[in-house]
Amino acid sequence: MEKTAHKQLSCGIELACVELPSRHAVTFEFRFLAGTANEPDDHLGLSRLIQETIDLGTENFDGRALSDAFDEIGASHGGWVGREASGYTCLVLPEFLERAIELHAEFLRRPTFPDDKVRVAIDLTRQEWTALQDDAHSLADKLIGEQAYGKYLGRHSLGEAEHLDTMKRQHLVDHWSRTYHGGRIQVSAAGAFDQQHLVDLLGTHFDGYGAAAPAGREHFDVVFNPARMHHNKDLEQQQIGVAFPGAARTDDDYSVQRAMLGILSGGMSSRLFTEVREKLGLVYWVSAWGECPRGSGMIFLGASTTPDRCDETYRALLREVDRLSEDLTTEELDRAVSGLVAKIETQGDATRARCSQLAEDLFQFNRPMDRAEKIAKLKAVTVDDIHRYLADHPREALSVVTLGPRVLEGSETAEPCSAGEPRS
Amino acid sequence: MNDPYTLHTLPNGLRIVIERMPEVNSAAAGFLARTGARDEVPELAGVSHFLEHMCFKGTAKRDWQQTSVDFDKLGSIYNAFTSADRTFYYGWVPKRSIRDQIEIVADMMRPALPEEEFATEKNVILEEIAMAKDSIDHVAFDFVLEKVFEGHPLAWPVLGYDTTVTDLTRDQMHAYFEKRYAADNMMLIVAGNVDPAEIIATAEDLCGHWKPAESKGERKTPEIRTGVANRVVDRFNQQVIAMNFPGPGAGDPLSETADVAASILGGGNSRFFWNIVQSGLSPSAGCFRFDLGDCGLTILTAQTDADVDGVEKLADALREEARDICHNKVRPEEVQRVKNKRRTGLAVEGESPYHRLVQIMDDADYRGAPRTVEQRLADVEAVSVDSVAEFFERYPIDRDGFLIGVGPREWPNCG
Repeated sequence: MEKTAHKQLSCGIELACVELPSRHAVTFEFRFLAGTANEPDDHLGLSRLIQETIDLGTENFDGRALSDAFDEIGASHGGWVGREASGYTCLVLPEFLERAIELHAEFLRRPTFPDDKVRVAIDLTRQEWTALQDDAHSLADKLIGEQAYGKYLGRHSLGEAEHLDTMKRQHLVDHWSRTYHGGRIQVSAAGAFDQQHLVDLLGTHFDGYGAAAPAGREHFDVVFNPARMHHNKDLEQQQIGVAFPGAARTDDDYSVQRAMLGILSGGMSSRLFTEVREKLGLVYWVSAWGECPRGSGMIFLGASTTPDRCDETYRALLREVDRLSEDLTTEELDRAVSGLVAKIETQGDATRARCSQLAEDLFQFNRPMDRAEKIAKLKAVTVDDIHRYLADHPREALSVVTLGPRVLEGSETAEPCSAGEPRS
Repeated sequence: MNDPYTLHTLPNGLRIVIERMPEVNSAAAGFLARTGARDEVPELAGVSHFLEHMCFKGTAKRDWQQTSVDFDKLGSIYNAFTSADRTFYYGWVPKRSIRDQIEIVADMMRPALPEEEFATEKNVILEEIAMAKDSIDHVAFDFVLEKVFEGHPLAWPVLGYDTTVTDLTRDQMHAYFEKRYAADNMMLIVAGNVDPAEIIATAEDLCGHWKPAESKGERKTPEIRTGVANRVVDRFNQQVIAMNFPGPGAGDPLSETADVAASILGGGNSRFFWNIVQSGLSPSAGCFRFDLGDCGLTILTAQTDADVDGVEKLADALREEARDICHNKVRPEEVQRVKNKRRTGLAVEGESPYHRLVQIMDDADYRGAPRTVEQRLADVEAVSVDSVAEFFERYPIDRDGFLIGVGPREWPNCG
């Protein structure tokens, strides 16, 4: 029997968890409410550097010993850095949950950031910058994110290449001290465990972890930049990215937006796949997706195509969004919604997916959301809702980025270094 | 524990493998066609992958849009992929929809190959090839296969070449289909909360009329070559190094040991991570296996900024680690650490019908029968310090292999 709980712990941690007794594993996430948007302006990239080095030395372990300790319990763990948060995820067998929490406390609370490891991490980040140049899709993703979101939310996890030259261990220590404490932590967990036992474990290992008062709950504003920029690069394909503001996760229109994205890009019968790829044969990859920083939303359209088809592909992308106002049918909407609902059900079998959903609910709504509630909202979306959504989110002023050898009609060309190349 | 598997073969030779997973609420089904790039002739390079796309483009019963609509109505998580030796089509749905899911995929396995769709889809494939050329990893891997398997069908890319895809005709594809998608060259795999008797009855109904092959053709085991080669691609900024050595095939008794050895050398908490990545030589260094039914490769790979000194140092570091693991036994705790992680991975694999589907395909195709999670765990547990030593004795990585460089530098020197 599933049992969900939402608790505020005295150490500052906000916990959401679901007991799934029939599962054979536990998965949990520590989410710190500080991401790239929270970094100091002159040292962008700190969040990622902290994550790369935080487990390479602690008060009681060197990096290798800590990794060995995780491997002794067979834990699969990793991390991510986002615009407004940074997370540490772990999958472990139920009998090792206690040890896994203890080891997380060790590196989250007591990192030493060894100077030699920090210097290596900075060197490797320089190489990651070079590697990014060889990954056209990720580079285009970085460029459209920077342009569409603006100064704070548009930052990339690699930061700025020139900031690496002045980055020192002390910068990591200072930023870690500011952003890693109990009041900024949300923990989510799913799987075979006892809730009270988990609460006790977190209390034992995280009581006294810095300030417990809630922090990091503020929103960063999107500073939407409607522009059309081209970045020259020698590529076989042209990368196209388009963005316009959408609904926030907490808006009533979020379910409408989700259904609309399902119609545009939810499966092989979706409009972008059907029209741009299968009927016109313009692309292999085409997609529409939404991102939701807290309190805001952004819709993205993306495609890659050979340069002489770039303008036609761009027009086709926009035409498919506009056409939703003209000829959307109830059958098409119902299909998209039933697809989304079925996927919620199917992925419910995966413990990791359940934990991710909880973590996202906590982040966006400050509470776990009932799956039935989400499904009911999706099922309530009508064709008129989609029409209204499109009218409420006009697309006259778009943020557009192209990366490749050909300038899109009406685009300005960016300075060469703005394609993300390291300047030093 | 009760055997969760039901194995059945239809009179036309179609093999059916079913795993019951009563604790989940979903089910996944897939059709395996035992065909891929290695079954092509040079002028048809890429036909297997192109055919995979065309199976989504209409049948006698549905046009392509109806196929897509029917998949999406089920809320299926579905796709297909083509490799050197297999093509696999699958869908993962709530358990109530499994019969409908099997029906759609079975229908796709008898495609109409309409001429007008063939012409449009050719453009999509050419875009996919162009996309691959922008990926340094893709270019490097294709170059590895080209050199290591030179003279054998495994040498050409799964996507084919611009020229072969452009020149391919619908009739050539149809002839290839007739030969390779015969009932006795295919397998239906189902995993999830299902009733095996219902699945078999469904398969008999939908696939019982498929014809067996008159002749499937023989696959030749490739010779694995040694040498040195580089491919200069000016537009890339990093240099990829790949050191390639013969390794066990997927069905080899040493296969599990090879996986453990690769993890010790180039996995997460590995020798490469601590001795190469953490010394700042490369942001990514790994050891991978490329394994087919009858052959395999062990590939040591890393990439770095393309200055010559850095590339040489990185290559030396990879060689040093390879020498050390071949000449000195690994430590028991290194083996145990990998086993522990595998145990956790297997615990969650058992809750996902889709992930079980892929594993069952590997086992049933390469080993002849599926293995339960418990059996796989037992096979992993049997790996030891001595079996790792035996692996490196039989498949050494400290001598002549094929050294490959891809990037802006003319490295390694092939003179």
